[in-house]
Amino acid sequence: MAGLTATTARRAAIGSRRLPRLSPYLFIAPFFVVFAAFGVYPLMYALRLSFTRWRGAGEATWVGVGNYVYLLTNPDFWASLGNSAVMWLLIVPIQVVAGLGAAVLLANARLRLRGLFRVAFIAPFVTPLVAMAQVWIVVFDEDYGLVNHVLGLVGLPAVGWLTSTAWAKPTLALLFLWKTTGFAIIILLAGLQAVPGAVYEAASIDGASRWRQFWSLTVPLVRRSIAFLVVVQTLAVFQMFAEPYVVTEGGPYGSTTTAGLYLYEHISASDLGTGAANSFLLVLLVFGLSLGAVRLLRPKEEVS
Amino acid sequence: MSTPAMARRGFLKGALGIGALAAAGACAPGGGTSAAPSKLAKPTTTSSASAKGEITIWNRSGDLFKVFDAAIGKFREAYPGVKVNHQAVDIDAKLANTLISGTDVPDGSFWDDAKIGGQSEHLYDLTDLISPYRDKIAPYKLSVNTVGGKIYGVPWDLDPGLLWYREDILQDAGVDPAGISTYDDLLTAARTIKEKDPKTRPIHLDKNPFLGQLWLEMLANQQGTSLADAQGKLRLESAEYRRTLGWIQDAVKGELVTHAPYLEAADINTLDSGQQVFVPWAIWWSFAPQQLLKATKGKWRAAPLPAWTPGGARSGAMGGSSFIIPAKAKNPELAWLLYEFLCFTEPGYTAVYGPNSIYPGGLSTSVPSFSPALRPDKPLFKPIDALGGQDLWKVAVEAAATIPAAAPLPVWWAQSVDYLGDNTQRLIEGKMSPDDVIAESAKKIQRNLIDRS
Amino acid sequence: MKQARPGPVQYAVLVLLAIAFLYPIWWALSSSLKPATEIITSPLSVGAVTLDNYRAMFADVPIGTGFVNTALVLAVKGAMTMVFCPLAGYAFAKYTFPGKNALFGVVMLTLMLPTLVLIIPLLLEMSALGWVNTYQALILPGSVDAFSIFWMRQVIAAIPDELLDAGRVDGASEFGVFYRVVIPVIRPGLVALAVLTTMNIYNDFVWPVVAVNDTEHQTLQVVLSTLAQNVTGNRVGADFATVWGELLAAGSIAMLPLLVIFILLQRHFISGILAGSVKG
Repeated sequence: MAGLTATTARRAAIGSRRLPRLSPYLFIAPFFVVFAAFGVYPLMYALRLSFTRWRGAGEATWVGVGNYVYLLTNPDFWASLGNSAVMWLLIVPIQVVAGLGAAVLLANARLRLRGLFRVAFIAPFVTPLVAMAQVWIVVFDEDYGLVNHVLGLVGLPAVGWLTSTAWAKPTLALLFLWKTTGFAIIILLAGLQAVPGAVYEAASIDGASRWRQFWSLTVPLVRRSIAFLVVVQTLAVFQMFAEPYVVTEGGPYGSTTTAGLYLYEHISASDLGTGAANSFLLVLLVFGLSLGAVRLLRPKEEVS
Repeated sequence: MSTPAMARRGFLKGALGIGALAAAGACAPGGGTSAAPSKLAKPTTTSSASAKGEITIWNRSGDLFKVFDAAIGKFREAYPGVKVNHQAVDIDAKLANTLISGTDVPDGSFWDDAKIGGQSEHLYDLTDLISPYRDKIAPYKLSVNTVGGKIYGVPWDLDPGLLWYREDILQDAGVDPAGISTYDDLLTAARTIKEKDPKTRPIHLDKNPFLGQLWLEMLANQQGTSLADAQGKLRLESAEYRRTLGWIQDAVKGELVTHAPYLEAADINTLDSGQQVFVPWAIWWSFAPQQLLKATKGKWRAAPLPAWTPGGARSGAMGGSSFIIPAKAKNPELAWLLYEFLCFTEPGYTAVYGPNSIYPGGLSTSVPSFSPALRPDKPLFKPIDALGGQDLWKVAVEAAATIPAAAPLPVWWAQSVDYLGDNTQRLIEGKMSPDDVIAESAKKIQRNLIDRS
Repeated sequence: MKQARPGPVQYAVLVLLAIAFLYPIWWALSSSLKPATEIITSPLSVGAVTLDNYRAMFADVPIGTGFVNTALVLAVKGAMTMVFCPLAGYAFAKYTFPGKNALFGVVMLTLMLPTLVLIIPLLLEMSALGWVNTYQALILPGSVDAFSIFWMRQVIAAIPDELLDAGRVDGASEFGVFYRVVIPVIRPGLVALAVLTTMNIYNDFVWPVVAVNDTEHQTLQVVLSTLAQNVTGNRVGADFATVWGELLAAGSIAMLPLLVIFILLQRHFISGILAGSVKG
C-alpha cells in the first residue's frame, strides 16, 4: 500500500505528540467493531472450511491442504486465472487511460453538453446487470446481431463475438468497461478537482504544452486516485462472476470462466471447501497484484 | 473433523424444534438429536377439517407461481384450517443456503430434481408417506428422488422427450412420421428431406453446453442409464453413451444438423425458415410454436422419440422438479397435506394442468408424474392450435409411460457440464470423436468431481 | 484559468461514445414497452408500445416494498459510511501508530475476500443471532466498508501536512482538525464517496438475496433476482418471454430514480473544477 512518506510520518508523529495517542485508534474503531461482529467469524469459518471437504450436509472431512493442492495442480484453476489476467489487460489499462481522458474533458467548463455526457458515461453503473447482459446477447449475436449487421454493411465478415474463444473475452470486457467506466470517471474527477488551478496557470505562463501539462502536472496529482482505481478494479476483475455467468455461462469452452466464476461454480454447486480454498488463493493473488501496482504507481521519492 | 461448529449448533437447534413438535403431538419424528435424517410420518390429523396451522411454501416466480397460487386456493377449500403463505423466491440462490443455516426455512419448496440428492440430509424422509402411491409414480421420478433407499421429494412433473417435426415438410418429402421408429430411421428421414431441399439442416442439436448435456441425459435415460448410478459410480463408459455419441457424429458428418443455442435468435430464425425440421426435445419445447415461432406456428407436431433399439423405450425424461419438505420445517405435516393434494389427488393436479385463468388451454409444458393422472383418454390440457390442433396430451402420456427408471442426480451434475457438456459441443463441431468425449470427460469427472465429493 | 475549447474531434468521440453508452439503456427501456414475446423474437426492432409488462410486473412482485427497503438501507448504511469511513481513512493517512500497517492490512483483507465465500458463515451467524429477515442483517454486515476507508485514505493522503499542523497550532483537538480542516478540503472526494456508496448499496444483491426471505424486507435487487431467476442459469419455461417483459419493466423502474437524481444533481457532484475548486 502506498504508505506514508518518511517525512509525513515524522510530521504526523510530531503533531500527535502533544495529544493522546488514542485518537487514531478511536477513528478506526467503528470499522473494527463491525469487523469483530460480522467479519471475524465468517473469515475464520471460511478459513477452516478451506481445509475440509464439505458440501453443506453431513460431517465435514478434514483434508488438510488437500483443496489447495487440488486447485494448484488443476489446469482449470490456472486457466481461470489466465482468463482473468487477459480480462485485466483488456480492462484496466484502457479504463485508466480512457477514464482519465474522459474525466479531463468532462471537467472542462467550456465543454458543451457536459451534463449530458456525464450522465451518459455514469448511467450504466446503476443498470441491472441481467437486463443489460441481454443487450450484449442480442447486439453481439453472430448471425442476427446489430454489430455484425453493421460490419456486413461495410463488407466485413461476421465475427463470433460471444461464440468464439478468441472474441468472447474482449466482448465481455466491453460489458465490464461499459458498466464500470463511470465509476472510474467519478474517482478520477474527484482526484482532478483536488488539482489546484493555480498550478495550471503557472504552467501555462511557463508555456508548457498541453500534453506536458497533462503528463507532468495532472497525472502526478491524480496518482493516488489512479492507484485506488487500479487496486479496486484489479479486485473487481479477478472477482468478476456475474457478467460471464449471465452472458456466456463461462463459455465457449471455458474461455470466459474467470477466476470469480470458477469460484462461483464451486460454491453454487455446494462444493464449499474447494470454494473457500479458491477464495483464499484469490486473496493472495490480488493482494500481490495490488501491492505491485501500487509500488509501480508510487513516485520515486516515496519509494525509499 | 466435524461439521463446522455453527452448523452443528444450528442443527441442534433445529433438532430441538422437531423435539418440541413431537412433544406437542403434532407429528412423530424419527430425527431427534442424532444425525440421522428426520423421517416424516403420516399426520395424525387426517381429516381435512381438523388440520390447522400456517405453512410457508416457496416457489419460482412467473406463470407457474400463479398457477400454483390458484391450485393452493383449491387446497384451502379442502383444508380450510390451513393457511398457506405462498412466496415467490429465487430458489437457486436461497434454498441450499437456507437449509444449511436452518433458520426461517420454508415448510415446503419446489426444487430441481438435480439438487435433491446432494442435500437429502436437510430434508424429511418421505418414504412412508409416499409408499401408498409409489406404485403409481413414474419410475424415473421415483428413482431421482430416492437416495439410499429413502424418498426425499414428492415427485412433481414428468418431462418426456418427444420428436418435434414439421408436418408440412415431411409430407412434401414423402416421409411418414409414424415410420420413424429408430434413430437410424431419423437419420434416413433427415437425408431424404435434405435431398429434396439441400438448404435444410434438418436436426436440431443444441449449442448450449448445459442444455446439450441435459439432452444427452434424456437420450441416456431412454436407454435405461444415466451419468452416474445410484451409488454415484460413473456410467459414461458404456455402449449406450457410445451409441448416442456415435449417432451425433453420424448426423454431423452427414451435414444433417443445425447447431444453435436453445431459442436464441439463431435458433428461432432457422426454426422459422424451414432449415430445421426435427427437434428431439422435451415436451416443454411446446411453448416455442405457441409463443415464439411466427412463420411456422401451426406446422409443428409431436411424435414419440425414435427408439435406440427396435422395440426400445420411446422417450426419456429431460429435467424436472419435485417438492421437498425441509427437516426443520415448522409444520411439515401440513406441507405434506398440500403436496399430497397437488400431486396425488384429481382436484390437485387438475388445478395445475387443467385449463385455468393463466393457461386457458391448460399447462402443456410437462405432464404429472402420477400415473392415474396420465390417462390418454382423459386429457388435462386441451389440443393445441399452434400444433395444428394436435392432441399433445395423448402423445405425451403415451411416450411418458415408456420412460425407464434412472438414478438420483449426483451432487456434481452441474459441474460436470464443464467436461461432458463442453466435449459434446466439441463432438458436434467435429473437433472430438465419441471415444475421446467419453475418455476425456470420464477422466476429468472422476478426478475432479467424484473422487472429491 | 484558461481551458482549451474542445475541438470537433473531441466532440465527435464524445458523441459517439455517449450513443454507445446510452444505447443499452435505451434498449432496456424501449423493450420494456414492447409486447413480451417480441423481446425474444425481434429484439432489435421497435414495435407497438404497450404497458402490459409493467402491469404484470406490478401485479407479480412487490417492487414498491423494494423501493422503500432499498431507501431505508441506503439511508442508514450510507450515513454510517459517510460518518465513519472518512475518520478511519484520516487515521490511516495521517497518523503513525503501533500496528497501523497490520490494521490496514486487515481492512484491505476484507476488501479482497470474495463475498461469495462469506455468505454461508454470515448466514449461520445471522441465524444464531436471530437476525434472518431483519433490517439489521441487511444493514450492519459490510457497513463501514474497506472500499470507502481505502478511498478516503487516498483522498486525505493528498492533503499537505502543513495544513493539519496549522490547525493543531490553532489549538484544535484531533477531531477538530479532522472536522474543521480535513472535511472542507476533501469535499470532492466526499461527494464521490457519496455517489459510489449509493450505487454500491443500490446494486448489492449477493447478500440481500440470501439474508431476506419474506416479502416485507425485500430490497429492489432481491425483487429483481426473483424475476431474473427465470431467465438466467438455463431456466426454461412457458413464461420465458413474459418473464423477460416483467424483468425489463422492473429493471427500468428500478434504475429510473437513481438516473433522475443523477441528472438533477450531476452539476453538484462533479462541479466545474480545475478553476472552480481553488479559492484565491
